[in-house]
Amino acid sequence: MFFFTYLGRELRRRMRQAVFIAIGLAIGIGLVITVIGASSGVKAAQAKVLRALYGIGTDVTVTTKPELPSAKPIGGHATSGGPGGAGPRAEICVNGKCYTSGTVDTLVPSNVGALSQSEVAQIARLHNVSAAAGGLVLTDNRVTLPSASNPNIAPPTSFTVDGTDISHPRLGPLSNARLTSGRAFTAADENSDVALVDASYAASHDIKLGSTTTVAGTKFRVIGLVSQPQAGSPPNVYIPLARAQSLAMDLGTGQKMNGKVDTVYVTATSAADIATVQGEIQRLLPQATVTSSSDLASEITGSAASAAKLAGALGTWLAVLVLIAAFAVASLLTMAAVARRVPEFGTLKALGWRSSRIVTQVLGESVTIGILGGLAGVGLGFAGVAIIDKIAPKLSATVPSASGAFGTPQTVTGPGGVASGALIGGPTTGHTTVAVPMSASVTIGAIALAVVLAIAGGLLAGSFGGWRAARLRPAAALARVG
Amino acid sequence: MDPSDDIYQLAGVSKTYRKSGREILAVRELDLDIRAGEWLAVQGKTGHGKTTLLHLLGGLDRPTRGRVTFAGQDLATAPESQVRRVRADSFGFIFQTFNLVPTLTAYENVEAALIPLGLHHTQRREQVAAALDTVGLGDRAEHLPGELSGGQQQRVAIARALVKAPRVLLADEPTGNLDEDTRDEIITLLDTLWRERRLTLVLVSHDSSVVRRAQRIGVMSRGRLSIRQDTRA
Repeated sequence: MFFFTYLGRELRRRMRQAVFIAIGLAIGIGLVITVIGASSGVKAAQAKVLRALYGIGTDVTVTTKPELPSAKPIGGHATSGGPGGAGPRAEICVNGKCYTSGTVDTLVPSNVGALSQSEVAQIARLHNVSAAAGGLVLTDNRVTLPSASNPNIAPPTSFTVDGTDISHPRLGPLSNARLTSGRAFTAADENSDVALVDASYAASHDIKLGSTTTVAGTKFRVIGLVSQPQAGSPPNVYIPLARAQSLAMDLGTGQKMNGKVDTVYVTATSAADIATVQGEIQRLLPQATVTSSSDLASEITGSAASAAKLAGALGTWLAVLVLIAAFAVASLLTMAAVARRVPEFGTLKALGWRSSRIVTQVLGESVTIGILGGLAGVGLGFAGVAIIDKIAPKLSATVPSASGAFGTPQTVTGPGGVASGALIGGPTTGHTTVAVPMSASVTIGAIALAVVLAIAGGLLAGSFGGWRAARLRPAAALARVG
Repeated sequence: MDPSDDIYQLAGVSKTYRKSGREILAVRELDLDIRAGEWLAVQGKTGHGKTTLLHLLGGLDRPTRGRVTFAGQDLATAPESQVRRVRADSFGFIFQTFNLVPTLTAYENVEAALIPLGLHHTQRREQVAAALDTVGLGDRAEHLPGELSGGQQQRVAIARALVKAPRVLLADEPTGNLDEDTRDEIITLLDTLWRERRLTLVLVSHDSSVVRRAQRIGVMSRGRLSIRQDTRA
């Protein structure tokens, strides 16, 4: 009781100094919380991007390099002299069969090779693997060739298709999606021509629930609409994996992809096992590219990555410097206060007070200031995070795709076109750029850190002063009187 | 007189300080016995070792040489924890500048002397109230030192020194900061307490009107003590 009375009275006497020290600590701690909030906001934004591509539960993705095609399975060119020799003529060949009119609709994988379902099963059996599911990341390219009645070539269209293993709903891009209308896949849909369509894509292409959408020339009934987080670049259409395998064509072999996948999504038994799982898969499939979400996060570029670096480097250093300055000022002011109180402590020692009791008194005062500064710092941290939330611009993230990005639209020239020999269905680039809304937030961890820092700051400041008070000999302390 | 009546026995006590690289001999080869219940006054000019002697008697400092024996314990060689316990239990200090903690009330300042004794707060409350009543400040218990006159502050300091019923009262120029009337009040109070409580009182002062009430008067000069008057029975 006496301890708290003495502590309270002393803090009231040094109110201005106490407030000054507390404000210094508050600024440092508030900055730390803001930096952590901003940093975790950027990381969360990056995670959103990755989740949109690989799903919530995916720890590791496995892909393999494409085989070099022995012959070009898909090719196209435009030549002068159209039908009847009246003008330029376009021709597209698929697996040796050439088309000069009508619509050519192909479903091809991105720039990765194929893995077999048995390899997926082998991965699933690995010791530290909780689940593994194969998927196909495909691009549907559709080109309508000019005809005599319609000599003008229509621009080619393209959309992305995800062949989803519906027996593993928690893995792959669909796991991150939210059903907005209709129903999800069921086991009975495994070999059915049913599709889930991205709600934004459906809205822009006038695709309604219950209507049909065409994939590789086959009509699929739309059973549900789904939406992915804003940060992602989700597939446009999801169809059952078995149907995707039967419709897609392997660019390496020119064959259908029955029994094949191009990406394996893997969940480790625990976060600590991810590296082990990576190694196990790499040993199992030496030719495969095994990528963890953290590998991908490190490859994210664009303003999101810059913001992450800014928050991680400059922000952290700024916070650390301000904290050091705040701790130093607090320590110096506490030592100055102790110096002024030397006769007081000398008197207490003359009364028989233990040095440890005096040190505890000094520490108690500085820790109290530290805690008050910490509380104010948490408030400042919340304010800083709110300001960031308010003013932060949308970030862009360029993400390396584990299976290559979804296909980019190819062009083919025809009558009236300017180029000839355009190729469709070829390899595509492996990056996707998406807009990332940044949302900073104060975490429990950050608040806990603030409390620890506040107490540490108080203890640090108090320990210097306390040490000085403890080593005073009573006679020397009393000699300072008058 | 039986030597066992001596509460203090100082033998060959010297105290040297280093100040600005120079050695200062504050007390030199001092031999002194003080009886229990005796009032010893020490006079002398400033800087001649009076306060140093008082600090040595109070266990606030250790001699460079010699023995300071209090009730059979050598304060010169005893561990600091033991000396601290002796200070807490047996010595009451009164200082020229009162040395009250400015943020604590009169009550709390007196209570501070009981903290090292680990008494229950009910017991502390009773003892503090009694001590403040003894010095006539029962009604000023909640006042801060800044709200009290110099004489009242010194009374609080005396209450603080007496509250634990010490065996020895060590007073360093207790009237040095007081006007003449207040000085007489304080010295009368000390005289009364000394008689009533059979305290051993060692009082340092350069004021002759204060020291003449003592049984024995010593003079410190250049670190040496010489007894000028001894009226002990």
